[in-house]
Amino acid sequence: MPEISSDQYLALFRDMWRVRKFEQALEREFKRGKVPGMLHIGLGQEATLSAIAHTLRKEDGIFPDHRCHGLLFLKGTPGKQIMAELFGRATGICSGKGGSLHSADASVNNFGDNGVQGSYMVTALGVALGWKMQGKNSLAAVVVGDGTAGRGEWHESMNLASVWKAPVLFVCVNNGYAISTSVGASHATEDLVDFAKAYKIPAIQVDGNDILAAYQATQEAAAHIRAGKGPYFVEYKTWRWQGMFSGEFRPAEEVKYFKEEHEPITMAKADLHKKGIASLEQLDAIEKEVEAEIEGWVAYAQESPMPDPAKATANVYVGWEVESWQS
Amino acid sequence: MAVITTVQAINEALGLMMAEDQRVYCLGEDIGKMGGDFGVTRGLFDEFGGERVRDTPLSEAAIVGAAVGSAMVGMRPVAEIMFADFIGTCYDQIVNNAAKVHYMFDGQFKAPIVLRTACGGGFGGGPHHSQQVEGWFMNVPGLVIVAPASPYDAKGLMITSIEDDNPILFLEHKALYRQKGEVPEGKYTVPLRQAKVVRPGKDVTVVTCMKSVHDALAAAQELEADGVSVEVIDLRTLRPWDHQTVLESVARTGRAVVVNEAPKTGGLGADISAVISEEAFSYLKAPVARICGFDTPIPFSLPLEKLILPDKDRVKQGILKVLGK
Repeated sequence: MPEISSDQYLALFRDMWRVRKFEQALEREFKRGKVPGMLHIGLGQEATLSAIAHTLRKEDGIFPDHRCHGLLFLKGTPGKQIMAELFGRATGICSGKGGSLHSADASVNNFGDNGVQGSYMVTALGVALGWKMQGKNSLAAVVVGDGTAGRGEWHESMNLASVWKAPVLFVCVNNGYAISTSVGASHATEDLVDFAKAYKIPAIQVDGNDILAAYQATQEAAAHIRAGKGPYFVEYKTWRWQGMFSGEFRPAEEVKYFKEEHEPITMAKADLHKKGIASLEQLDAIEKEVEAEIEGWVAYAQESPMPDPAKATANVYVGWEVESWQS
Repeated sequence: MAVITTVQAINEALGLMMAEDQRVYCLGEDIGKMGGDFGVTRGLFDEFGGERVRDTPLSEAAIVGAAVGSAMVGMRPVAEIMFADFIGTCYDQIVNNAAKVHYMFDGQFKAPIVLRTACGGGFGGGPHHSQQVEGWFMNVPGLVIVAPASPYDAKGLMITSIEDDNPILFLEHKALYRQKGEVPEGKYTVPLRQAKVVRPGKDVTVVTCMKSVHDALAAAQELEADGVSVEVIDLRTLRPWDHQTVLESVARTGRAVVVNEAPKTGGLGADISAVISEEAFSYLKAPVARICGFDTPIPFSLPLEKLILPDKDRVKQGILKVLGK
């Protein structure tokens, strides 16, 4: 495995905390009724997001999934604009018109999430194809959950990415369950890398709660794609903290294992300390710094105005106003 | 001026635009060497190669998705869905992605794709190779539906559609593919969202599109002998359709017949009829008549199919009805 510097390791660690604190603040405000709509949070999956973010370059594309709020700001968009978008405010990155499931930022090549799971896998294929035809050396990363493996777009995009040698980085965050249905109960395999292999796409399965393993696997995948060898598939085995809408439905020992024993931030913290990269006090200080940063974004979002009513009918078409042709 | 078929006219438009603009490329099933089921892309593979005339598997969602994604990064894809009836397999991609990326991200991205597809009945294609699908998309803000009725308009509208920044569903009626007409060489455009009065008249307005334009013209020709003057409007863009041209005509004639090959309920004809009733009620001398396909699937057997689709005789009946004859 390639070596990682202490600074890189600490940066990965800090961004795991940024994802954690962002999601916790968001969940709190959602429960207070400040964040409208629906909310899917990525608590427990912080290592996967940090690994992806630290692999992608600005010129690379990202299609984040519904538990990827962290990736939205880790890709380079100011976090306050992401938070404001999730609050539906005028200062949001999409002027409040997209929300949690549709936050894009063209300036950092974030193409946005999609409310229809996996639907954007073929859009990512198209971005990769377009860049390849233009001779650019960028890759398009698409983050999908395990439940998405049932979608036609999953299979159509993998098949064509393979045929076209399109620079697509498929990153599958396998947290074991679609809303309540376990991966093995609804798919022919519990190991979703099997599908990628069937489409002759190089694939790797890795512990998504182990930040170094996740980071290095993602790095190797990206290096393969950047060398012009076509798509790559990374499956992170992980676990989400959020249960179902109605509460926890998973076995108690499984919950305990992932929240206490195999919890990504706790594991990384212990490892950083053990390796002498930072003291426990220094690591705790990171958590506090991040918390202050995120709470600043929440305050910004709450203080931001609601969108101008004119936004409701803006940008339906390119170059035409809706009113001008509707009598 | 050359007299060519609609297939040749669209082919010319594609070839011209691909030669002029490197961003333009085609993708779809069997569109490469074979030139497509109806020959619309014939010769383009040899001229531009497999990178820009790209054969795909039977993956309609990926065809549309790849088009949208590449358009979001600056390409100008022209995607083919072999038969319009297959479009349900990529409906989500059209409705939730192509038509919405510009709006939901508040203008940061656009999806300038042209989605060509062969539609329409009358040749025994049966339930899955004959349908008119504009009704399935009338309720989709952000989408433009273009539907030419002549080779001239087919070429001009295709060029305009490729140059336009909006996602465009381009309907090609199979009954018109071999129809011939005068088409200028070289590049010219036909505006979107502008209907065309293809026959002026003063007693009744027929509003229609695609193959039914020709049924309406034939009906108008026959009725002329009986002293009835029929104005025929070819909508050309079905969504958003040209309210102004239609309402001005109805204000002059006072009578309107809407002809649409798709099933009657909830479709284009319903919308046109509703807008005329809302906006031109005081001009109307008779209720608007709708001559449409029956509310049935399309049967295979030719006499049954003929029964359910509008034709010249049914258009005539509709015209006579609004005239009280």
